[in-house]
Amino acid sequence: MSAAIVPGDTTETLAARAVQVTKVYGQGQTEVRALDNVSVEFPSGRFTAIMGPSGSGKSTLMHCLAGLDRITSGQIFIGDVELSKLSEKQLTLLRRDKVGFVFQAFNLLPTLTAAENVELPLAIAGRKPDRAWVDRVIDAVGLRERLAHKPAELSGGQQQRVAAARALASKPAIVFADEPTGNLDSAAGAELLGFMRRSVDEYGQTIVMVTHDPNSAAFSDHVLFLADGRIVDEMANPTAEKVLDLMKKLGG
Amino acid sequence: MRKATLKGLMAHKLRLAATALAIVLGVSFVSGTYVLTDTITASFDSLFKQVTQGIDVAVRSEETFGGFETGEVRDPMPASLLERIQAVDGVRVAEGSVTGYAQLVGKDGKAVTTGGAPSLGVSFNQDTQFTAGSTVRSGRLPSGPTEMAIDAKTAEDTGYVVGDRAKVLFQGPARDYTVSGIIGFGEADNLGGARLVGFDLATAQEVMNREGRFDEIDVAAEGGVTPEQLRDRIRAAVDPRYEVLTGEELAEDSAAAINDTIGRFLGTALLAFAFVALLVGAFLIFNTFTIIVAQRTRELALLRCLGASRRQVMNSVLLESVIVALVASLVGLGLGVLIASGLKALLSTFLGADIPATGIQFQPRTVIVSLAVGLIVTVLAAVMPARKATRVPPVAALQPETAFAPTGFRKRRIVLGVLITTVGVALLLAGLFRSEGNRLVNVASGAVVVFLGVAVLSPLIARPLARVIGWPFARAFRLPGNLARENAMRNPRRTASTAAALMIGLALVSFVSIFAASIKASTTEILEESVTADYILFNDNFQPFSPEAAERLAEQPQLAAVAGMRFGPWKLDGVGKSLAGIDPVTYQQVVRTEVTDGSFDDLASGGLAVKDTVAESSGWTVGENVAMEFPRTGVEQVPVKAIYEDNSLNGDFLLGLTTYERAYADQADSQILVKAAPGVAPADSRAAIDQVMTDFPNVTVRDQAEFREEQARQIDQIINLFYSLLGLAILIALFGIVNTLGLSIFERIRELGLLRAVGATRRQLRSMIRWEAVIIAVLGAVLGLAVGVFFGWTIVRALASQGITEFTVPAGQLVSFVLAAAIAGILAAVLPGRRAAKIDVLRAITTE
Ligand SMILES: Nc1ncnc2c1ncn2[C@@H]1O[C@H](COP(=O)(O)OP(=O)(O)OP(=O)(O)O)[C@@H](O)[C@H]1O
Ligand SMILES: [Mg+2]
Repeated sequence: MSAAIVPGDTTETLAARAVQVTKVYGQGQTEVRALDNVSVEFPSGRFTAIMGPSGSGKSTLMHCLAGLDRITSGQIFIGDVELSKLSEKQLTLLRRDKVGFVFQAFNLLPTLTAAENVELPLAIAGRKPDRAWVDRVIDAVGLRERLAHKPAELSGGQQQRVAAARALASKPAIVFADEPTGNLDSAAGAELLGFMRRSVDEYGQTIVMVTHDPNSAAFSDHVLFLADGRIVDEMANPTAEKVLDLMKKLGG
Repeated sequence: MRKATLKGLMAHKLRLAATALAIVLGVSFVSGTYVLTDTITASFDSLFKQVTQGIDVAVRSEETFGGFETGEVRDPMPASLLERIQAVDGVRVAEGSVTGYAQLVGKDGKAVTTGGAPSLGVSFNQDTQFTAGSTVRSGRLPSGPTEMAIDAKTAEDTGYVVGDRAKVLFQGPARDYTVSGIIGFGEADNLGGARLVGFDLATAQEVMNREGRFDEIDVAAEGGVTPEQLRDRIRAAVDPRYEVLTGEELAEDSAAAINDTIGRFLGTALLAFAFVALLVGAFLIFNTFTIIVAQRTRELALLRCLGASRRQVMNSVLLESVIVALVASLVGLGLGVLIASGLKALLSTFLGADIPATGIQFQPRTVIVSLAVGLIVTVLAAVMPARKATRVPPVAALQPETAFAPTGFRKRRIVLGVLITTVGVALLLAGLFRSEGNRLVNVASGAVVVFLGVAVLSPLIARPLARVIGWPFARAFRLPGNLARENAMRNPRRTASTAAALMIGLALVSFVSIFAASIKASTTEILEESVTADYILFNDNFQPFSPEAAERLAEQPQLAAVAGMRFGPWKLDGVGKSLAGIDPVTYQQVVRTEVTDGSFDDLASGGLAVKDTVAESSGWTVGENVAMEFPRTGVEQVPVKAIYEDNSLNGDFLLGLTTYERAYADQADSQILVKAAPGVAPADSRAAIDQVMTDFPNVTVRDQAEFREEQARQIDQIINLFYSLLGLAILIALFGIVNTLGLSIFERIRELGLLRAVGATRRQLRSMIRWEAVIIAVLGAVLGLAVGVFFGWTIVRALASQGITEFTVPAGQLVSFVLAAAIAGILAAVLPGRRAAKIDVLRAITTE
């Protein structure tokens, strides 16, 4: 093992990467090139934000990376695993074990309590949760008092925090969040983003987040800018002002 | 608005398909029943017209003991009547004929049986005008004391051809005859399933104990005299106790007798099943429309925002139901014709009734009733959901949908449910225990109201019950089981009304099985308690047989006691009753009876023994005379000799044999009870009986154990027929589960998508849907079992005086019903599960 030369050995390990990924929706007249030859790497322990105008392909990129959608050409890796080689079933298991999700809305099963929702991926896998870890996550999102509540009894922000806790509870290799603060006011949004930031800093979690909001993007380590299915720019250590400036520049 | 409705309809066409299917099945049963009974009726009408075509006028004696209780009894007419009729002006020819019991013995030495129709011996007329009704298929009509003709169906079944010799059984001694001819009746091979053996008049009169007497006199008119004129002339010439009918009237009357039976029993029974199917269907329709309205809340609210009135919204939902009902009823109507032919085949195999072939009868009444029933049931079931639709406020369009159904009106529901259930139970009990009113209608409507009451109450218990039922699934199948349980609990109304549809079918099935088990247990009880006989001998067709059998058995040294029982009708103050004629000496050795007053021994010199409850209510005591009216001797004063306790075997009245022999024309045993002599091995006593009974192949010999088994088997046969018909109701209820799950999946598409996104496999989704279906099915089964056991208990209790003394719950069977329901639930989940597994994850989570 030690003799083998593993790609990426020399640099930091990669949680996920896309290699010349193209995604085309429809055919002929209605053809839409949602992703156009995108190559990108997501190193472990990094919080990446994806920005871009509406329809630029942010969600598409995220769905493809997460194995929710099949790409037209190119390659996607989660860890060392190439997704196009996987069967539907293997993809599902990979999502279950390696990937965490936070969607913009409707993240929780209404019939389950907050606690049950947090442990959902573990329950699906039939795995025993790591109690200490789950407790830490729950405390981190400040949901201890709300554990027995059903989603309908939680505020939107609380629901999103439950979703975030769920995304972390199974210790996934990578967490994808598509506009997780889209439905929250700025205070609730900041709380959620703060938690995501901490999980990267303290536990080395890898997060990829789609957002429209420069303030949200400022929580990340690295921002990718998408336009017309292509990565048009990127920025390390973003601040809200820098992002806003770049967006103005790109938009103009 | 109408356009919006139609568009909506098209959008939900899949969702409505299962609903429509429920209506289709219910309506097809209604139309099938009508088509079947109409077809059978028409067949018999034309058959009897065929048979009586040459007869202008027929004379027979008045029915002395008609009616359902006692069967048709007519006294034969004296030969002198024939001479009087021949003398009437306008009569070209008049001939007497006789009809009685005669049963052919097959090549295998066994009596040829029917599926319930009679085995008849008849005489053939001479005049060609009269014989035109029957068609000689081969050979010729019999003449002389050694010849007979048989019907074509019997010939086909037995393999007898012209020239064969065969034995025929009568109430008197059996005899051998040569087949001289095989006859049909136009197209038909037999007369509605009856087995016919025909002789010339003199032979028939002799063998059927009708010497010098006739059962019917057929008359042909001279040219220029109409049947009606001739009928009136003959009527004027004979005693009014003779019925004088034209041939046409006779055909109608004969057909009516059979058709009445078919219409009343078969038709009513089938319509009852159709009703059950429709009731279950109504639940399904109610459920579907409720769900559709719930899912369309936003759409409807938007319509209201745009200015649609409540009435328009209501009409839009109702119009949808009307269209569905019309389409489904039309399909059901067509399907009914297929069902009719299916049922006809089923009837032939189950009952052995040969239904003569005619074209399918499709009457306007069938169309009208079927469409009306389909429309009414559907629209009624849709009214409540439609009213709910009108309550959708316009603001609902702007609010997010809530995942949970509202659960208000708890108190109102409890009060209403309890009230309805109480009314239902009261009706049921009234029907069972009070003799006034139409009891069957009371019982049936009581049952329906109980169902409705329980259905109203069931949402209250659906949640806790689903929790309990779902527990093992949550334990065994982890996440899918747990989610299934939660899903079954989340909308108790929907779960409950889906389960309620299944409840009806299962309640009826479990009631029937409890009823059957109780009858079986009661039979066993009677046999053990009251019957000391070792053997029971009887005729499969309930045809009485020659007393010679009992006489010869009594001569056997291996047998200690041989008691023949003869049954007969009589009237008390014009009300038909039945009795059994017995020889008290032998009877007491084979049947145990507790005599409370007087003595059975005194019956040896004639007289009557009465059951204690009857004696009490009539105020009779030993020594008193009862005015009994017999068919032959008229009213006679018969002394009461003994009063006994009920043992479910003696019946209400036992008549001493000496009195019986005087009072009845026919002397034949219906049953023989035999006790073996002490110390004789069972094999030896059996051999002695079998030896004698080879001469009486129409009599079946059974020992106690065999008898019990046979009774059980017969009950099972009927029960199986019930099960298969009730299966329809259960099938519809399963469509209900499929439908509800399908609609729920549509509703929960985002949840399913989310589950898939976070790693649930397709198999896990399928199993989640599956266990939800199973929980709903088991819930329905458990409710149904509870109601069914209650029905069984009350009805068995009510019939205690009819000999059903034991209340038995076939626990194993009931458990197997629940298991079957669970398996059915698994099947019902196949399609919805597949659909759930196939959802596009991305679309499910990205669509708003
Ligand atoms: N299922 C689909 N079929 C056809 N076209 C699609 C489909 N999904 C996305 N697209 C198209 O692909 C392009 C990229 O869409 P995507 O949802 O990735 O954009 P986005 O960057 O996430 O936009 P937003 O910020 O509005 O969420 C768009 O032009 C969109 O119309
Ligand atoms: Mg997007």
